[in-house]
Order: sequence, then structure tokens, then C-alpha cells
Amino acid sequence: MLRPTLKEVIGGMQRTIMDALLPELTSPYAQGQAISAIIMLAHAAAVIESAPAYDAAEIKDLRATFAALKRLGDKHISKKSGLRGALAGAIRASAKNPPDRRAMEAAMAAFASAVALGDADDGVARHVRGYIRRNLERSRNLFGGSLPSA
Amino acid sequence: MDQHRLTEYFKRRMPHAREHRVVGLKRISGGSSRETYAFDLEWSEGGQTRTRAMIGRRDPTGGLLKTDREREFKVIAAVHRAGLKVPEPLFLELDASVMDRPFFIMDRAPGRTGMSAFPALEAESTRAKVADDFLSELARLQSLDYREYGLEILGPPKNPEDPARIQTAHWSEVYERDRMGEHHPILSAAFAWLKAHPVVTDRVVIVHGDYRSGNYLYDDNGIIAMLDWEMAHLGDPMEDLGWASMTFWGREELAGGLMEREAFYRLYEQKTGHRVDRERLFFYRVLGNAKMVVICLTGIRDFVEGRTSDSMMPFLELLIPQLFEDLANQLRLV
Repeated sequence: MLRPTLKEVIGGMQRTIMDALLPELTSPYAQGQAISAIIMLAHAAAVIESAPAYDAAEIKDLRATFAALKRLGDKHISKKSGLRGALAGAIRASAKNPPDRRAMEAAMAAFASAVALGDADDGVARHVRGYIRRNLERSRNLFGGSLPSA
Repeated sequence: MDQHRLTEYFKRRMPHAREHRVVGLKRISGGSSRETYAFDLEWSEGGQTRTRAMIGRRDPTGGLLKTDREREFKVIAAVHRAGLKVPEPLFLELDASVMDRPFFIMDRAPGRTGMSAFPALEAESTRAKVADDFLSELARLQSLDYREYGLEILGPPKNPEDPARIQTAHWSEVYERDRMGEHHPILSAAFAWLKAHPVVTDRVVIVHGDYRSGNYLYDDNGIIAMLDWEMAHLGDPMEDLGWASMTFWGREELAGGLMEREAFYRLYEQKTGHRVDRERLFFYRVLGNAKMVVICLTGIRDFVEGRTSDSMMPFLELLIPQLFEDLANQLRLV
């Protein structure tokens, strides 16, 4: 492991702001900015190691969800909904190396819209809702349930 | 803002006065869409020395919103004239050469402010007074005839379904502009749903656009001034009510941290004499969540692309998951 690790560098920067900069700042606005920077760095240090795993899990889930949707077959995905094209695009995107996450998310946006509008078959909706539920749970885990209030 | 340039500005704007002095100029946080400065102006007039506490709001280099300060100033002036609790607007300066960017000056109201929800530690009597004032002021705002106050400049909707369509189209466009190539399935689904279900308003009112806890100054006797009028427009009365009662701005089941949500709606009905239309309210609560995500994306983009160095901006990323959860629940995506 290369030392200092990114997490250690971020931790050091937090201490620099806290111990060296903050005591020198006289304006309350600047002090507030420094404190937000310290808190944000703490967040970055907390997620920097889990972010790659989050991304990998996201891609794996999108891939698995689209594979499951494909297995449902055409009779579950009406031609006029435009979802067949979205699904084909998502399957192509998931086969790329590395997988094209943005293209997969664009396709998922089309599927989620169809579910919200009540235009998706029950089987399709079940898979889409399952993905969204897991996606929200991953976000909750990544941010550690320590979200500040607005 | 610069103390010397500001002093020179007041000399030009207040030629009848002498010995102008800007005292204690400092940037303050809050009002994130514009740079906000607090100061006192001292001057002599008629042989007397006078002092007035003021706020300067200058256009930002980047930030949460891209709004027109002239509109904001005119709206504040109109509602101030109507007797609503707002800071008195004093000077509008559109010439960017005066202070690098356009700005306006208004009275500095006293009082304290919370964050997104009314602070839980405040006294029960204070909370009750603020809650009552919050809905009284909203009722007064919604009772104003915008034509009487010269607010046709906000662009009256032509058809009853226009308020919903215009707001949906606006925030959907901002999303397309500021999503930085990312796709957010839940947000896309929200806009698809909003476009497919435009509600029809029964009356056009002045909409504050950011009417919520955190955007007023208060003391133990209630609200002193409603702030942050930069998103004001003409639209559906359910828009401000929906926004104010979003789960995001609340605490537990308390709308805005002020009162239980159903009691909040009942009090609104008492104050306005109009019933809460649940279908329209739901539409505007969905729109509110989608709009708030988009506002966050705008702030993040400006931070990422270097138009603002406000260290609060990256925090916006942390707010989005809760908004997505609320939208997913509303649209039955989970």
C-alpha cells in the first residue's frame, strides 16, 4: 500500500484546516466555509474506500437486472413502449469492457418512467422496483446514514 | 463587496445625505443563490446622524440558482407594499461596473433563522406562533391580486394547466442542462410522471417558490420577515403549500418542523378559506422533490466546474438520496 493513503492525506488536510487555518480566520463566513470543508473532507475520507465497491455493485446490479428483463421475453415488453430498444441498448452497454454505466442508467431511466406511468408489465415492474430498492439501499449504506439535514 | 466602493455608491444614491459610512461589512452565509453581505450604513442628514442595518445581495459567480435579481427586487417591493413581513427593499443596481456584478440592498431584519426544519429546541410557544404566522403570511400572499401590485412582469399563465406545465418544463430543462451527462432513473421517472399528469389550477396567485422553514427570520413572538424571493412567480397556490410540507423540509411528521402535517393543512384552509386540493398538492410535492434534486445538481455542477468555491456545495450530494427515496415512494417505484 502506498503511504500516505488517500484517506490519510484527506485526514491530514482536515487537521491542517482545523489546526493551522481556522484559528487564523477572523471572518465568520470564512470560518463557516472552513468548517464545511472539514466536514466534507471527513465524508470523503469515509466513502473513498467504499465508493469503488459501490460503483461495482451498481454496475453488477444493472447488468443483472437487464439480463433478467431480457429473460422475461418480448411478450412482457410491448413494442410501442420503446422499451425494447432501451433494453437492447442496455444489453449492448453491459457487454462493453468496461460496461457503459451511463448508457445502462439511461435505459433504466426509460424503464423507471414506464413503471411510474403504469405502462410496464407486472414482471418488468417487479425487476425495476427491485433494482431501485437495492440502489437506494446502496446509497444509504454509502452515505452511512449520517446525512446532514438540509 | 468592497467597503470603499459601497460607500461611494451610497454617496451617489443618497446625495441629500453627507458623511456616508459603511460599517462592519461582512459576508454572511445563507441565501445561497446570491452572495449575502451584512453592514450598517451611517450618514448625516438634517444635522442628525442616522444608522440603518442593511443587507447587500450580489449576483454570484455560480451557485444553486440562475435567477433574475430585478424580478426578485420588484417582487419584494410589491409584497412589502402590500404589508407582508419582508425586509424593505432599498436600492437595485443593475450596472455590473459598480460592484463587479449586479446587486441590491435591503433592510436588515432582526431575528434568528433555522436550517431546513424549525429548530426542535425552540420553546413550544415560539413554535406555535411561528407556525401560525407562517400560514397567515402564506394566506396573505395568496390573497394578493398580482395585477394590483404590478407583478404581471412575472408572466401570468394563460391557461389553468399552464402553472403545472410551465414549472415542470422549467425544472426538466434545468435537469437536462445540469445533469453533466449522468442519468438519474428516479428523477427521469418523476419528470415523465409530472409531464403526464399536469394538474389544473383553480386560481393564479403569487408563488414564493421557496416558502419553507429556514427561509424566515423569527423571534419569540413569531415571524419577522420571509426571505429568499428569487424563485417567485405566478402559479398554483398548492405549489407553495406542497413545497412547504415536503418531508424533506420537515422533521418526523411535522411539516417544516412546525406542526403535524394534517393539522398544517387544516390551518391553511382556515387561514385562506380555500380547501386543500389533494391531487394538486400531491403533484406539487412530487414536483418539489424533483425541483430540489435539480437545484442540488445545479450547485454541484457549478462547484465541479469552478463557478463557485462555496464549500457547502458538495454537501448537496448528500441530500439527494433522501429526495430520491421520497420520490420513489411517491411514484411507487419501490
